[in-house]
Amino acid sequence: MLKVKEEMIKTRILIVGGGISGLSIAYSLVKRGVNDIVIVEKSYLGSGSTGRCASGIRASFTSREHVVLMKHSIELWKKYAEGELGQHGLYYNQGGYVWLASREETAKTMERLVKLHNSLGVPTRIIGLDELKKLVPPIETRGIVSVLFDPTAGKSSPFKTIFAFYNLLRKKGVRIYLHTRVEEILHDDRRVYGAITSKGEIRAETIVVAAGASTRKLLEPLGVKMPLKNLPRHAMLTEAYREAFKPLVIDWDTPGVPYIVQMKSGSFLIARNIDEEPELSLYSQRIDFMPKAVKPLVRFFPWLRNTRIMRYWMGYYITTPDHHPVYGPVKDYENLYIATGFSGHGYMLAPVTGEVIAEWILNNRPSIDAARKLVLERFEKGALIKELAVVG
Amino acid sequence: MGGKRGHPVIVCRCRDVTLEDVEKAIEEGITDLETLKRRLNIGMGPCQGRTCIPLVASILARKLGKPVDELLIPKIRAPIIPVPVNLLLKSVDAKGERGDD
Repeated sequence: MLKVKEEMIKTRILIVGGGISGLSIAYSLVKRGVNDIVIVEKSYLGSGSTGRCASGIRASFTSREHVVLMKHSIELWKKYAEGELGQHGLYYNQGGYVWLASREETAKTMERLVKLHNSLGVPTRIIGLDELKKLVPPIETRGIVSVLFDPTAGKSSPFKTIFAFYNLLRKKGVRIYLHTRVEEILHDDRRVYGAITSKGEIRAETIVVAAGASTRKLLEPLGVKMPLKNLPRHAMLTEAYREAFKPLVIDWDTPGVPYIVQMKSGSFLIARNIDEEPELSLYSQRIDFMPKAVKPLVRFFPWLRNTRIMRYWMGYYITTPDHHPVYGPVKDYENLYIATGFSGHGYMLAPVTGEVIAEWILNNRPSIDAARKLVLERFEKGALIKELAVVG
Repeated sequence: MGGKRGHPVIVCRCRDVTLEDVEKAIEEGITDLETLKRRLNIGMGPCQGRTCIPLVASILARKLGKPVDELLIPKIRAPIIPVPVNLLLKSVDAKGERGDD
């Protein structure tokens, strides 16, 4: 661990946050030959939103920026799964996403969405109930008027992914300190130069803050104002069962868009958005969530009645006003970068987040143009990005 | 997975985790139970850690040369035992609430 007072840790790049974003940024830097990196995590690895997420990955979004970035991210997920990270346990199960419509107007919206996705190169399509039955055999199709299928979407394991990154990064010489809290980011008028942590002081040439729900408070003393809200979300798992279907299934026409996906362990993950106040503690559990989330899904999967709920937990969506991330440099500091505010999509975006931030640090601009619109300044300038369907 | 002992020593029956798996994870530099839990999926099966967490805590304590009560025990997640969905739905029906508000 850090040695207090005896020696000060020095590094080229300090990454605050040991979640999927911070680890992925470190990996993208390592790929480009930089391994003088320190990552600090205030708690255990993936203890923020990463380990609490539903693990879904898709490019079928409703803004150009999201679609472009996620298409890129899915390519990287596949590449990573086949490469050295795959050897360390990372996988991408491309089982697709299935969106169910129960109302005619939703069916029309889906047709418009398919056109948008296809125009941006994401091959979603409307499928019939026969094809739905093949993809999701144990589904009751009564009342379903249309189905949108995204064959490129999929799922993976947050824990397998973060430990793959962790073990590989350590082998490459990246220093990762867990249970080490950043108490203060050291700065002068134009630059940041280090951090005081619970285990000692660190000096860095460049700092990346990918601290999820803690980011806003961490940057406040620097005069960096971030319009982030930590919105509590709930999820639960059933006991493990034999594989029943591969896609993530979303009931679009029930408020709070309930969804269900079977994990590799065999458990079904079930979630639904219920009204919550931002910033509520992650231990203010709502037992009423459990029946509320599962009840609408019983209509499609009557056998769910006979399953058992094994675990229930909460996590934050770190949301921005336009539900798109905050990426890149901060105008008042020349060597400070941010990656947060993913609004529920940080896990799926992580591979592209790594690339974008690494390129920003090393080349002064990311190669994907869409990322450049996501800088913090957009909120001051009113250049917000519109996202019409935030799910999972 | 028995390794040098010739037969596996099962630490977690829910998720088939062996003593060797635990020792390997500790060698990866993981020295706290919350991280070990996510690395090995211990404590995340139907028993909610009642069997494995005390065992893993004592293995880790021995490795670190610390007393067990100095280790932080992972947070308990609801429900304490798996709950049938049927029962959950009845709780909603009984209160006359709609699950789809």
